[in-house]
Amino acid sequence: MGLDFTIFIDYGPRILQGFLLTVQIVAGAVAIGLPLGVLLATGRQSSLPPVRLLCTIVIEVVRNTPFMIQVFLLYYVLPFYGLRMPANLVGVLGLALFGSVYYAEVIRGGIDAIPRGQLESARAIGMSKWQAMRNIVLPQTLPIILPPLGNQTLSLVKESAILSTITVQEMTMTALRVQGETFRPFEAFIMIALLYWAFNETIAMALRSYERKLKREGAEAEAVAPGVGARLLAAVQGRAAR
Amino acid sequence: MKFDFSYTIDAMPRLLEGAAMTVQVTLIGFLLSLTLATVITVSKTTLQSRLLDGVVAVYVSFIRGTPILVQIFLVYYVLPLVGIDIGPIAAGITAITLNSAAYVIEILRGGLAAIPKGQFEAARSLGVPTLPLWRKVILPQVFIIAIPPLVNEFTQVLKSTPLLATITVVELMRVSQQIFSRNYHPVEVLTGAFVLYFLICFVVSRASIRLERHFALRRV
Repeated sequence: MGLDFTIFIDYGPRILQGFLLTVQIVAGAVAIGLPLGVLLATGRQSSLPPVRLLCTIVIEVVRNTPFMIQVFLLYYVLPFYGLRMPANLVGVLGLALFGSVYYAEVIRGGIDAIPRGQLESARAIGMSKWQAMRNIVLPQTLPIILPPLGNQTLSLVKESAILSTITVQEMTMTALRVQGETFRPFEAFIMIALLYWAFNETIAMALRSYERKLKREGAEAEAVAPGVGARLLAAVQGRAAR
Repeated sequence: MKFDFSYTIDAMPRLLEGAAMTVQVTLIGFLLSLTLATVITVSKTTLQSRLLDGVVAVYVSFIRGTPILVQIFLVYYVLPLVGIDIGPIAAGITAITLNSAAYVIEILRGGLAAIPKGQFEAARSLGVPTLPLWRKVILPQVFIIAIPPLVNEFTQVLKSTPLLATITVVELMRVSQQIFSRNYHPVEVLTGAFVLYFLICFVVSRASIRLERHFALRRV
């Protein structure tokens, strides 16, 4: 079995098109999933028991089921209730829902890293809970949770391959087609594997260097104010799910 | 259309058969990956070879940087080309093992970092040979420290098994596809499978806490 390099040249452009759709789908999923994640994270700490319960159930159910069956269910359930939409859109929504739950966990870790006293002080000077969250807690949370949020987004890039099972023409689906047309599975799949890998590694490297910088700052903060830095470090190290 | 529960109930016996297959594949894949990752971790630490470290680093990075679905396709479609025709189940388990091992290597590395260096030195000064040192002293501690991430990894393996449906392994996902392609009630059938997946995963994640407690008592 020799390598047939012409496949890389002949089908490369099509694969790249698939890659473009993969990136677009993930971008869409992040755009919907992040705000949803913030909602879930804050909802889980809400003072209203029904809201808290609902958010906890959503998070636990999504975390404890495979993404593939979530996508399938969504793909068939929406038309069942009269909502017809193209597979691409179902894919974006499914990925957004899946991602939001993990985003919520990351965001919660970030919120926990900010000393509670700050929230209480903000409330004491008359801010509403939401104002305190928006103006005091969340702005400080953002830089700490950026690396885990980034890792989580990388895992969405990988999960998006599963959308090929509901006929979304993203990169993995394109490779399956190329494989079907050329009967050269190795070339087809190694091509996309290398693309996924290069893409992930590039972003992961940037995240790691940012993470190192944060850890240095966390260690410095720990030296000045013991306890604060440790919490920051814990939040930075909070590993995102795959 | 209305949700008709009778289709879920009717599908249940076959779904449960599928679930049994899912659990088997998960158990075999996870145990193999645990073994492989342990062997790699022990060799890495004992041999201290730059080459081995490099190879393992590239392997871990590749696995973590590519979708598991693509890894499954690579194993399933490419192995026969090099003369290894082992069928979908074995190919699927191979892919899952290779995938999970990369994550377990990282978990064990974390666990190993928590073991004081002095233990290795103490064992060496007492003349304890390498294998008993790992088997009796180091590994039991590493595994106990690593229970939570290992249980989490187990559920990750479980959640990756539906992907094997794409290479014709007849597990829970594939069984539900077979059923609803015949009775045209995907929502009812998939809901049944969904609930089964949730129950298995949820029970396993909760077991983590019990396992930790069990071993925590022993450690004192």
